[in-house]
Amino acid sequence: MKKIINNPNNVVSEMLEGLAKANPAVKYSGAGVEVISRKEKKQNKVGIISGGGSGHEPAHAGYVGFGMLDAAVAGNVFASPSPDRILEGIKEADSGQGVLMVIKNYSGDIMNFQMASELAEMEGIRTASVVVKDDVAVPDSTYSTGRRGIAGTVFVHKIAGAAAEQGKTLEEVKDLAQKTIDNIRSMGMAMTPCILPAVGKAGFELKEDEIEIGMGIHGEPGITRQNMISAQELADKLLSRILEDYDYTGSEVAVMVNGLGGTPLMELYILFNEVEKILADKGIKIYRSFVGNYMTSLEMAGCSVTLLKLDDELKGYLDYPSMAPGFRV
Amino acid sequence: MGFTLTSQDYVNYLNIVHKKIYENGDYISSLDAATGDGDHWSNMNMGLENLTAAGDELKSMPIDAAFKKIGMIMMSKIGGSSGILYGGAYMAASKVISGKNSIDSQDLCNALEAMVNDMIQRGKAEPGMKTMIDALYPAVKAYKDALASQTDDRQTMLLVKQAAIDGAEATRNMEAVKGRASYQLNKGVGNLDPGAVTMSYQIECLCDYIIDNLISQ
Repeated sequence: MKKIINNPNNVVSEMLEGLAKANPAVKYSGAGVEVISRKEKKQNKVGIISGGGSGHEPAHAGYVGFGMLDAAVAGNVFASPSPDRILEGIKEADSGQGVLMVIKNYSGDIMNFQMASELAEMEGIRTASVVVKDDVAVPDSTYSTGRRGIAGTVFVHKIAGAAAEQGKTLEEVKDLAQKTIDNIRSMGMAMTPCILPAVGKAGFELKEDEIEIGMGIHGEPGITRQNMISAQELADKLLSRILEDYDYTGSEVAVMVNGLGGTPLMELYILFNEVEKILADKGIKIYRSFVGNYMTSLEMAGCSVTLLKLDDELKGYLDYPSMAPGFRV
Repeated sequence: MGFTLTSQDYVNYLNIVHKKIYENGDYISSLDAATGDGDHWSNMNMGLENLTAAGDELKSMPIDAAFKKIGMIMMSKIGGSSGILYGGAYMAASKVISGKNSIDSQDLCNALEAMVNDMIQRGKAEPGMKTMIDALYPAVKAYKDALASQTDDRQTMLLVKQAAIDGAEATRNMEAVKGRASYQLNKGVGNLDPGAVTMSYQIECLCDYIIDNLISQ
């Protein structure tokens, strides 16, 4: 394992300490709590928090700032933060109008955020939550854990954050976040595994010329393994799955081409170039595009494509300014 | 008949199970690599490391308070699904033995039953879904059956231990419904569930500790 770290046990706290030093608009709670929050709090605004396992940077601490999150709660690498940490995040975000929790759909996150919301209620803080499940690689289901939350989560932060900034109520912000979730689909692929600092070696292997379509952001199994294909074929493969799941025909969309951490921007732009051609062919109009590393998986090489169907209301929130270091608009 | 389990005993047991899980790190991580994301061992090991580090404090407490403290440590130090499931389970166990300085065999059975019920409720999981519940649930059932039929303590502990080991082994042919293994096309069939294996280690070590130290030979 070659990583720029001091001690595998301290990666989360040392990362957040560094992040806060590099971004004077946010503050770090300290080791053991692992919350990044805004230094300047707006009063009487719905608070927006998110969080989850670490290793997906800039998610979620990089999305704290004006126009997006009020606080982000980090767990250990790939493990949900505990309820006591989440409660601290809720308290940081609360300014009297309640707090919306944006949760990615993983069993651990759901259970920990649920308990944190019960603890918050006991302290007199109103909370609501939405669960992002945008990964079309997984069938949706109410019986099993169902669809995972991946890069589309960033759009939910953006829309909910902008709505809260404009003075919407907790219920209104929640409804808008849910509307956003309902209109998002994502699909990813991986080319190399990632290494958890505390484990020290890759949890799975991919052959030199092999890729896995549909792999999750923690290396969860995807749909198929196959040989590497061209950017054109890959764009077609990822988009086909998305378009089979949700009809974007004739609509305007926000597009995100997201890197998993180990893929150069050059390749992400090449992929976006192909994505744009296919969407144009299908009469899907791109309103706004985002190409970069937004929801990563440590040093995993790979990508995901996300589409968000927009109407005038969502466009307004998408275009609203954001000062979060990981997503400036 | 009957044994008494104190906080001191429980801390002794935690030291033993920490050693067992520490030594089986590569094996547990390899199970997890097959079905999960590879962090179950490091999370469990870290949780137990924190528990054994708090050993002096834990053994000075009545056992109900020690269980509550164990729950809080597991919840805040492990995080993830295991942290909240173990944390919630220990807190639930603490409630059913509330007011006790030490516990007898019936209390221990009640505590384990409270744990498995809390995991089922909180995790929205049932036996047969390829989780740690599949080691604990049959162990609790065996424990209740043995107490109801007035089996002697030694035999009871052997039955509980075997039920946990068999339960963990049975996860090999189960399909995962919850957690990351459920995303696999074959739902993890053919692989043991690492959470069930570490659960069976804990029950095994607890039963062995009771047989070796608390029951007159």
